[in-house]
Amino acid sequence: MQIDIHNLSFAYGHRSVINNLSLSLNPGDYMVVKGKNGTGKTTLIKCLLGINPVKAGMIFYNHQDITNFNKWPQFGYVSQKFEDFNYEYPITVNELLAVYSLKPTNQNHRLKMLDQLGILEIVNENINNLSGGQLQRVFIARAMLNNPEILILDEPTASIDKLNTEYFYRTVNELHAQGITIILITHNDSLEHLNYSHVLSMYQDMTYSFQSREKCDPAEVELL
Amino acid sequence: MMLSFFSDLFAYEFMLRALAAGIVLGVLAPLIGSIVVVRRLSFIADTLGHFSLVGISASLFLSTLGISLLFEEPLFLGLIFSVVGGLLIELFRRSYKNYKEISMVIVISLGTALSAIFFSKARATGSIYTYLFGSILTVNNYYMYAILITALLVGLLFIFFGRQIIAVSFDETSAKFLGINVNIFQIIFMVMLSIVVSVMLESAGVLLISSMMIIPVAAGMKVGWSFRSTLAIAIFFSEMSVFFGLWMAYSLKIPSGAAIVSVNIVILLVVTLIKRIVQKSQIAKMNKEKS
Repeated sequence: MQIDIHNLSFAYGHRSVINNLSLSLNPGDYMVVKGKNGTGKTTLIKCLLGINPVKAGMIFYNHQDITNFNKWPQFGYVSQKFEDFNYEYPITVNELLAVYSLKPTNQNHRLKMLDQLGILEIVNENINNLSGGQLQRVFIARAMLNNPEILILDEPTASIDKLNTEYFYRTVNELHAQGITIILITHNDSLEHLNYSHVLSMYQDMTYSFQSREKCDPAEVELL
Repeated sequence: MMLSFFSDLFAYEFMLRALAAGIVLGVLAPLIGSIVVVRRLSFIADTLGHFSLVGISASLFLSTLGISLLFEEPLFLGLIFSVVGGLLIELFRRSYKNYKEISMVIVISLGTALSAIFFSKARATGSIYTYLFGSILTVNNYYMYAILITALLVGLLFIFFGRQIIAVSFDETSAKFLGINVNIFQIIFMVMLSIVVSVMLESAGVLLISSMMIIPVAAGMKVGWSFRSTLAIAIFFSEMSVFFGLWMAYSLKIPSGAAIVSVNIVILLVVTLIKRIVQKSQIAKMNKEKS
């Protein structure tokens, strides 16, 4: 999916968080967003997802303005914590995935997805009984369930151990190889094993650097 | 006492009608209640009940003035006000995004104040007691039709859009990626809930509607292991409370809403107690195996 951001600015009330950000991604690009806490990474994602209404600047998906965009099923999204999600009401992993699937009767697809993420054994488990890491992988499965064209990941490995983090990023690399556009916010993870094509560095003074992988200094990016 | 209840149940039409209404509401209340619980809006049925009371009190006030409405039953004006109340909640919820309960306090206050004003100016206020505490034994044919039509509508909504309703209720953000217009869906659900509340008004009573919707679900959550099982268990508990509540209301001459809710509370307490005992014995067993 082609993504164009033109002079995007966003403020919570009077507190400006993003100022004049512009960038373009081609279909199949893999952008890593790096930056310290409070630099506006999650705010940017919320703008891209239409959760934060864009008032200054513009976002285009395949040349279509976000305000008229309605092809949201082409998106997959994983957050470090889904603030709205009801984590306490009983629902099994299989039920949850069926609810968020565009093809709810295709159980085999769901099982395959869980198997890929190494959590097949919890398919009939109540989500209340899952560990943070297991739950996060269920959300990752949910995001990938409808074969999205673009996958937006906001610190998806925050509650996963090191081994599963590596496993997860391998899966992301595979999805990228299939042509899916990836936007990944990461705070602590090493970029060493990621097949990213671009890096957006966000700084606390609301300046940005958007570079292709070849042009950026990996050591400098790791430090962000 | 139970035997005479059974013989009277089939001897009197009003008893059978009450049982039929109770059985339908026994499914309807926890079905819609489970969605209300998932959305963390348990207080909402109470609010809508209070607001539909405005319609009922306005109906009584208008009849005092000699103004006859299209429908004589106060239920219909109650239904309209319940829907208005639901839409008002949605409206206020959007302006107080992080304080969802504020919208309900505003609507409940407005509803109570307007009801009190209309009741004070109405002459025939004998039925207030019924609307506050419920009387399933006095339901008439009109009311029965209203319940059946509502049950049919809710049933169809869940058959065709059940998955979407659950998706929006669990996680609004992710429901968007199914192509669901979350705002429109929330309004449809609110209208549906308002209709259910208004048809439950006569049998459950304004003050007890939310209990009939929420408590069976709360008990179901204690023992359910999935969404489906929790709903099935909640419906089972709800039907039990309707049956035993009806029996209590008839035998002890007490309001049916109060009787049904009392049985619901007893079920919740018993389920909570049993669950605690089972959990403790399981922990003890595990500790024994470890040592």
